[in-house]
Amino acid sequence: MNSGLNPSDPTIVNAFRSALLHQWLLAAAIFVLLLLVWGATRTWVIGQVPGGAAADDGAPPQGARAAARAPGAVTPPQAARAPAEPRARRLLRIGFGLLWVLDGILQAQPKMAAGMPSQVIEPTAASSPAWVQHVVNWGGTIWSYHPVQAGASAVWIQVGIGLWLIVAERGWWSRAAGLASVGWGLVVWVFGESFGGIFAPGLTWLFGAPGAALFYAVAGALIALPAGAWRTPRTGRLVLAATGTFFIGMAVLQAWPGRGFWHGAAGGQPGTLTAMVQSMARTSQPHVLSALVSSFGSFTAAHGFAVNLFTMIALAVLGAAFLTGRPRLARAAVTAATVLCLADWVLIEDLGFLGGLGTDPNSMIPMILVFTAGYLALTPAPEAAGEAAAAPIVVPWRDRLRPATVRGAVGAVSARTAAALGAIGVILVGAAPMAAASASRTADPIIAEAISGSTAPLDQPAPAFTLTSQDGRQVTLASLRGKVVLLTFLDPVCVSDCPLIAQEVRQAGQLLGADASHVELVAIVINPLYYSVAYTRAFDQQEHLGAVPNWLYLTGSPGQLENIWRGYGVTAEVSTGGAMIAHDDIAFILDRSGHIREELSDDPGPGTTSSTSSYAVLLADAARQTLGEP
Amino acid sequence: MKRPAVPAAARRRVTAIAVMVLAACTAGCGQAASHQAPRPAPALAPSLNTSLATTAGTWAAVVMGDTGTSDNAFSQLFTRPAGSISWKLVTPPGVATNGGFVLATQGSRSLIAGFRPGVDLTFSALTATRDDGTNWQPGSPLQPGLADVPDALAAAPGGGRMLALLLGGTVTQSTDQGTHWTTLPGLRSLAGTAAGRRCSPAALTAVSLTPAGTQLAAATCTRPGIAGIFSYTAGRWQAAGPSLPASLAGTATGVLRLTSTPAGNEALLAAGTGTAASLLATWTGDGDAHWTVSAPLRLGAAAVRSAGFGSAGTAWAVLTDGRAETIGSPAATWRALPAVPPGTAALAPGPDGGFDALAVSGSKLTIWQLSPGATGWTTTQVINVPIEYGSS
Repeated sequence: MNSGLNPSDPTIVNAFRSALLHQWLLAAAIFVLLLLVWGATRTWVIGQVPGGAAADDGAPPQGARAAARAPGAVTPPQAARAPAEPRARRLLRIGFGLLWVLDGILQAQPKMAAGMPSQVIEPTAASSPAWVQHVVNWGGTIWSYHPVQAGASAVWIQVGIGLWLIVAERGWWSRAAGLASVGWGLVVWVFGESFGGIFAPGLTWLFGAPGAALFYAVAGALIALPAGAWRTPRTGRLVLAATGTFFIGMAVLQAWPGRGFWHGAAGGQPGTLTAMVQSMARTSQPHVLSALVSSFGSFTAAHGFAVNLFTMIALAVLGAAFLTGRPRLARAAVTAATVLCLADWVLIEDLGFLGGLGTDPNSMIPMILVFTAGYLALTPAPEAAGEAAAAPIVVPWRDRLRPATVRGAVGAVSARTAAALGAIGVILVGAAPMAAASASRTADPIIAEAISGSTAPLDQPAPAFTLTSQDGRQVTLASLRGKVVLLTFLDPVCVSDCPLIAQEVRQAGQLLGADASHVELVAIVINPLYYSVAYTRAFDQQEHLGAVPNWLYLTGSPGQLENIWRGYGVTAEVSTGGAMIAHDDIAFILDRSGHIREELSDDPGPGTTSSTSSYAVLLADAARQTLGEP
Repeated sequence: MKRPAVPAAARRRVTAIAVMVLAACTAGCGQAASHQAPRPAPALAPSLNTSLATTAGTWAAVVMGDTGTSDNAFSQLFTRPAGSISWKLVTPPGVATNGGFVLATQGSRSLIAGFRPGVDLTFSALTATRDDGTNWQPGSPLQPGLADVPDALAAAPGGGRMLALLLGGTVTQSTDQGTHWTTLPGLRSLAGTAAGRRCSPAALTAVSLTPAGTQLAAATCTRPGIAGIFSYTAGRWQAAGPSLPASLAGTATGVLRLTSTPAGNEALLAAGTGTAASLLATWTGDGDAHWTVSAPLRLGAAAVRSAGFGSAGTAWAVLTDGRAETIGSPAATWRALPAVPPGTAALAPGPDGGFDALAVSGSKLTIWQLSPGATGWTTTQVINVPIEYGSS
């Protein structure tokens, strides 16, 4: 699924930074525009009503109130005074809003664009069943085909959802933000975390099961609940019961024999937990933290049984306490569980976001937020519990269209609502380019550019040749005049690069569509020993090139071939020790008059599907551009 | 005494909790059970590491480099002229040897090497030398590529007749030194013949040309008690293998190696599987009419790592447990050689009637010699091969 590129590849990193900068400017422009529109609208509304004045956020402006009092006006629902937001919901909304923003910022790390599929998604899915890998690969492939757009979209979607949650305090805007959190949380959980690893062996609470993003989705669902759901302790009781059940289930898994958690080390090899901690200690991070994690790894290696026993008992006891639903017991459990989660977060999960490819602070902080919110919902504040919901005022559609009502509604738009609109704009800024890119079945040419470097425009006569095609015809360069020639050099018995390049050229021909009839795809043999027509035919058969109408694989005598190689500046070295012929991977774009217009390295790099597709796009673009030139 | 009623909400909660705990446990149990690994069956097929002796010298092909990966494992060809004690590297250039190669000799100083498909190359290039590997002349390609067995290529001395076993069980022959090839009935056709039905072949494992020019093909028979050697006469495959001893009547047998010598044909058979596996040698001196079968060599838990033939009807095998065994002639029995040096890829007949062991460590080949009557191997030569790692 991955592009095979180095995550720190400078071409990708620079393009990623550039995309982020452009999108940041666009996002900022959206906010400024919304602010201006909001300010101008309020001024206009207030100006319509004598004595109007600006109001604080969360309350209708005086002008709006005045407009609402005007004869024939109907007070819009937004203007009704809403009760204070319950503490539990506020904790989830602000907490997960901040987490989403942090995750978005983490997604902006330079290695993310090229490294996410190969360093995060693929390894996470590796131990899961084939069907999980199949599903995850689908998402990973889309990312690897469009690394810059995918990386940038992850940044802005997460920042946008975070801002939306933070600013949208109440009403359907706020509930919609919760639903957005559910949707994106599930996307991240499935494709980024391979379903949180719940189908993979070694599932454990200690390592973050069932995946941090699932908590984001759960929190989003809770935020999306109707306001009435927070006014009774029932929601809190359910959240704590689910948490308790989860803890007990995890305790059972922790205790299950044969899963490697009872041994800190066995047979000279580290146990499951020890290995995990040791691997986290090797992550790039401040020395103090690495020393702390490393020390805990040593402790676990020596006392693996005790660590697992403690974990199992702690989870079981805390789970049972949550299940009781008794506030006093739940409060103690929340405190103890918070301490346990924080210890796990630091000592085992190693904060989760270090190393340059950390996408989030892992599961413990979200988990703490969820069960703490459960406790707060179990014990609603007296004023919130006693507060009656403002009865919604049902306004017929006909009345809503009256000028005074519209003025009232516009005037009632708070800064928070405007900011929520801005946050949605931020999401769209990231999502739109990705949606457009993913509609294309071919990879972004930037992958090929990252491997080969940029191309240089040329204008010089191409060295002439007279060679034999795979079907025995004599072909001269002059006979190809009037067509754009995409020329490369291939070894018919090459075991790696040449078959990949041939596929790139074939795909480029397909991408040209109707233009392909004006383009000749030409390869010249680059092997001084295996050059006969029998070998070009065998290569064509191997690469299924026989049915490509504009494909020519040309060869000649060793003397002819060496002259042509020299003319085009390519070399072929006979290697020893069983290696194939060492030769240049280079392609030329010749215009209709036989001039070289472009020279590009067609080293296929890692030869992944995305890099192959990307090269094909690059070659097709170059051929199309030359076709369009006079 | 009346039990207190449990509220409906509480019952639902308990049920939900029970279901979730059960689901969590089930997930965990399932994952724990999936750790059980399948028990591997012993591999009886020898690798492409082998040697080939002619009157003018000895050839040996061994895999070197990083043998654990396909990209960085490169087969190398060595030769030792008759009378010399030194080996030299003569790997044919121009084609990557990641897939290994198979060898066939056409005369005293002539050798044909067929490159097996490797990495992204799916057909086989052929090349031939007439001067002990100094110069190589490419032949026509074979498509699909040569089968992954050491006897996938055979040549008759002089005359340019060649026989090849390709991937998928296709047999093809050439009468003009490999320029043009014609396909013979392959595995599927063989399975449909009377001889084939008695054998019920799972796969073709070798081809050979008898001194008289008759095409031979060998197979692994799934029917017990049958040695799957067939000759192509009168336009169809006919049974030409030896009758196996009664002790092997219930045992499935496969042909590991098959070759022709000036005296006739020679084959190595693998019988049985697991700890009951054994190795047999068989010879015929009069075409393919009368075969002599050796006593079985019990392999125990070992498998055949490599095997080959020497001159005058000798055969050798290196086993995965470090044993090396040889058998001299139809009248002889298997003889254990001293345990081979670490890394031994193949044996070759030695210059003085003993054996050379070709031991590989990365790009270094060490030649160990066992003189007749000696009790241990001694180093005689070290060759460092310039392997270009990462070139494939």
